[in-house]
Amino acid sequence: MKIRQTVLWTCVCLLALHLCGQEEITIRITEGMPMIPVAMPAFQFSETAAQKTDIRDAVYETLWKDLEFSRIFKMVPREHYSYIPRFNANAIHFKDWASIQANILISGQLEVTADDRVIFSFKVYEVASERFIFGRNFGGKKDLARLIAHRAADEMLKHFGEKPLFTSKIVYISESGNDRDVYIMDYDGYRPTRITFSNALDMLPSWSADNEKILYTSYRNLSPELFMFDIYSGKTQLLSSGGSNYAADWSPVADRIVYTSSKHGNAEIYLKDMKTGQEKRLTFNPAIDTSPCWSPNGREIAFTSQRNGTPQIYIMDVEGSNIRRITMEGSYHDSPAWSPDGMRLAFVSRIENRFDIYVYNLKSNEMSKLTENAGRNENPSWSPDGRHLVFSSNRSGRYQLYLVDYDGRNVRQITSSGENKMPKWQKFPK
Amino acid sequence: MKKLLLVVVALSLILMFNACGKKAAKVAPVQEPTVEKVEEPIAMVEKPVLSEEELFQQKSLEELNKDQILKRINFDFDKYTVREDMKSIMQANANWLLKFASVEVLVEGHCDERGTIEYNIALGEKRAEAARNYLVSLGLNPAKVKIISYGKSKPLVQGVDEETYFQNRRAEFVITKK
Repeated sequence: MKIRQTVLWTCVCLLALHLCGQEEITIRITEGMPMIPVAMPAFQFSETAAQKTDIRDAVYETLWKDLEFSRIFKMVPREHYSYIPRFNANAIHFKDWASIQANILISGQLEVTADDRVIFSFKVYEVASERFIFGRNFGGKKDLARLIAHRAADEMLKHFGEKPLFTSKIVYISESGNDRDVYIMDYDGYRPTRITFSNALDMLPSWSADNEKILYTSYRNLSPELFMFDIYSGKTQLLSSGGSNYAADWSPVADRIVYTSSKHGNAEIYLKDMKTGQEKRLTFNPAIDTSPCWSPNGREIAFTSQRNGTPQIYIMDVEGSNIRRITMEGSYHDSPAWSPDGMRLAFVSRIENRFDIYVYNLKSNEMSKLTENAGRNENPSWSPDGRHLVFSSNRSGRYQLYLVDYDGRNVRQITSSGENKMPKWQKFPK
Repeated sequence: MKKLLLVVVALSLILMFNACGKKAAKVAPVQEPTVEKVEEPIAMVEKPVLSEEELFQQKSLEELNKDQILKRINFDFDKYTVREDMKSIMQANANWLLKFASVEVLVEGHCDERGTIEYNIALGEKRAEAARNYLVSLGLNPAKVKIISYGKSKPLVQGVDEETYFQNRRAEFVITKK
């Protein structure tokens, strides 16, 4: 659709140019910086590494996919490498790489030791200035090959002024048989690790601000209660008392959480101080109030309320005051997720029994649709850099997790076995 | 005349006697193996009709719930008020619960899949609460009725049609104590 539009506009512009002769053409980029073209020829391998094609491919492909995913870098297609002489790490002809429009060149070297350790070194060059910019060496056990590649990709981000993203994790619920448990995996869907073994229904997990704890709801004691799991100590703590307790969100700036509880009879939003355990009720309404979510500065809370008849998205100050309605059209919105830059709210809207993810721009009051009539799309969660989202969808039958860019591009399925839903991406550590 | 009648009666009695004796003598030679047919004596006894009370005493919690002594009710799309046509079911449930005052019941609220996970937990809870309030309005002790919501995580039936959705939008009454 986008391409067709571009082609159409190009035709219109060309026609206009043709008609008007000297008309000036202005190209305006509305959002984001132009991406940096990167070339990454095949790595050099030691003799042992040459035999371990799985490790080789894991590191190369993971690094390639990470950089391609970033929206910071643009990978120069591999087919273009065949137009120029073969890459030689000892004598780099930068002019060749410039000729295929590469600005950055990555030269990698992979070694696998006798005891199955992977050593990966990479060097990054700027093509125009023919200059070495930086390099790193990583080593680790062979089953950490993907992590090594993610670390290398993070180094690329850091060098270009971005925060590390590719080592970030996603927490989610995976279902196999009657069990629904909490799992953690890499952002790209690999290396899933199960972290709850409750034999009961677990749901709606989320991260603490330091990414060391997981909040989630479990029916293990027969009613939906809120638990906190410490990833490093392995300890689980019960946080709630009575009623249904769910949809917890940890403040990005302080040790406090907001969550939904019906401990006093009706679904209301509560604020809990995680140090003192003190609680404060934020909503006072006989209708349903749920799905609270912090603004990145920790001063406001977006939430869902049915106080005007149907579930709509509202924002309130952290004291519970100054409530204003955000969604004005449609009859069903829920699962708000505040973008890390504070500018946008993603949420789910039900329109004629279709569930799609929308992004509402709080500055321009414009709404855009991220998913298009493909199954039911739910529970959006932003990547820490705000350029991507993860969500669940049953477009392929059972619920699976998908990634999508902030502008609806690059939809990618990242899970495929069993049923997977309710994803939450880590935040940048505070 | 009387004497004659007596003679006739006596003669006919003798004749009858003779005939019987002849028949018995005819059957006797057939020597069949004596296989006695054993019949279940209980088959002869009429099954006792158990009263509601006796049934209640006899059955375990699981059996009572499996038999759906308490009937589930359904709700309208996105709504949580007890429908007019469900009120007779609620009355029957309440009558039974009032009869067995020792019973404790858990009202489960459920939703169809056309909602988000978070909102459906709240909606299911509202449905369970509405059902509970209705039972209380019919005279039930509120302390005996607890509620829980499963949102859309425990559908009764699978499917994507209106009938499926209707069946899944429900409140179930689970007996937790006799």
